[in-house]
Amino acid sequence: MNQVDCTVVENRELTKGNFLLTLRVPRLFAKPHPGQFVHLRLSTDGEPLLRRPYSLEGYFEHRGVRAIRLYYSVVGRGSRILSGQPKGQVLDLIGPLGVGFTPAPRRTSLLVAGGRGVAPLLFLSRRLAEKKRPYVFLFGAKSKNELYGVREIKKGRLHLATDDGSVGYEGSVLDLLEREWNEHGHTPQTAEIFTCGPHGLLHAIADFARERGIRCEASLEGPMACAVGACRGCPIPLRPECDQGRYPAMCVEGPVYDATVVDWERLP
Amino acid sequence: MTPVQKPDLRVTIGSLELRNPILVASGIIGFGKEYERLVDLEKIGGIVTKTVTLRPRAGNPPPRVVETSAGMLNSIGIENPGLAGYLELKVPILRELPCARIVSVEGENVEEFQELVRGVDASGVADAIEVNISCPNVGAHGMRYSTDAGMAREVMSAIRPLTRLPLIAKLTPNVTRIAEIAEACESCGADAISVVNTFVGMAVDSRNRKPILGTVLGGLSGPAIKPLALAKAWEVAQAVDIPLVGMGGIAKPADAIEFLLVGCTAVEIGTAMFADPGLPEACVSGLSDYVRSLGERSVDAVLGAMELPAGRGPIRAGRARREAARSVRRSGEKK
Repeated sequence: MNQVDCTVVENRELTKGNFLLTLRVPRLFAKPHPGQFVHLRLSTDGEPLLRRPYSLEGYFEHRGVRAIRLYYSVVGRGSRILSGQPKGQVLDLIGPLGVGFTPAPRRTSLLVAGGRGVAPLLFLSRRLAEKKRPYVFLFGAKSKNELYGVREIKKGRLHLATDDGSVGYEGSVLDLLEREWNEHGHTPQTAEIFTCGPHGLLHAIADFARERGIRCEASLEGPMACAVGACRGCPIPLRPECDQGRYPAMCVEGPVYDATVVDWERLP
Repeated sequence: MTPVQKPDLRVTIGSLELRNPILVASGIIGFGKEYERLVDLEKIGGIVTKTVTLRPRAGNPPPRVVETSAGMLNSIGIENPGLAGYLELKVPILRELPCARIVSVEGENVEEFQELVRGVDASGVADAIEVNISCPNVGAHGMRYSTDAGMAREVMSAIRPLTRLPLIAKLTPNVTRIAEIAEACESCGADAISVVNTFVGMAVDSRNRKPILGTVLGGLSGPAIKPLALAKAWEVAQAVDIPLVGMGGIAKPADAIEFLLVGCTAVEIGTAMFADPGLPEACVSGLSDYVRSLGERSVDAVLGAMELPAGRGPIRAGRARREAARSVRRSGEKK
């Protein structure tokens, strides 16, 4: 992890309110793992005061040029400022931070994405494809417009769900997961789940995994102050039977964490 | 060209000599290691550690932080490994730090404060102890010892005989007359006063009609509190003769200089450092430039150097209150 200056290469609104940001990073920025994040400074005048954590959508190296990509939605003050950063703008970031996904060898990865939670899973799917590991990509969103990145997924099987039925299955991606699990003979010894999305969805997926003894890692989201484990401002609440009398810090022990031990009721 | 001499930024707090007056506040930088890749500790005066309590504390339920206008509310609740964990895990880290190490402690009662001070003193790596009698996030006992002069006196006089390390009492701003608490600490042998801890605040989410913080109330920090904190520092500066360590919303070198001008000997950088880890170093160089711009060689020329127009009320009011408080104390003692 380092504090570096990076340059906006492109900051494009793909669909209403959803942006893809490409940032050129210096050599000092270590090669990141899928699931890791960066802490971006979006103002120098103290308003908004804190940096914003953004999960990485991808990392690319081409002819010695290194770039990271963020897929984000405009939801508040920070993301609004980010959406206005033009090409060439220099941004101060700290990263890569946290721990990412840890797929086990010789297992099929079931990637379950909800909405903009697709970002770190696209990153993971590319890594899995590079390593020729099998995966299945299940992606649920509100509508067709929010199914970012689906055209890219070629190496693995892809199943889509939308709330409005505009594409794929009409309903929750959780149903897709259940169907995939039941119809393809997966077992906890042959498959594992990696997921990111709204916490309500992650809660349901975590319950699904825990009931069946499936290994399941979720990428969590929450406000962070320091993002380096110092301030202890981003605790992950654990289920009572897993509680060790302490809260893991989302920034350094997460943001990817064993979904089956998280106490989702107490996670905002 | 004649070489430009670097100004002398050294200051002393009791027996502790700092290479410069820029410290990092408690709760910001952990025990120093967390920020090792982002801050050059050789450039700054020192750090104040995360507060150590007697027993380990898991801290408060989430959410623990919420951003506000130019500020941040927190309800962390002193998540720390306790005294035994400090001795085992943190002392080896502190031993390697290339700057002053001020260890912050907080007890639930006087006996716990005593045990903590003995333990930290014996650990051999502390250059001073900041006595956190002002945390708003650990229940009733947190701020109790700095909202009442009698209780502040009780804890300070109980720990003073236990160590020769400088004792710095950290006060809450959530009182009507902070100067009285500062005087109480001074009279019981405190070597310095830290002003101030966070201001009690809260945030509500109107969409779901719920408080945002897991504990409802939290402590406000960041640039939003700087004018409030500066006023408290100045008020305390009127009342005591021991050094002050000023803090509250410092976000740029000029802010740090303002605290020194109103009478602080050192300052602590807090919340703004989350956005700008280079801020403490920037404050050191900014202060150095400022001293040079005054044509001075030492930071001494800045400490307490605020110039008040002659006959302006506030300072006389402060002094009058101080005199009055002293005469009350004297007459009280006679009885």
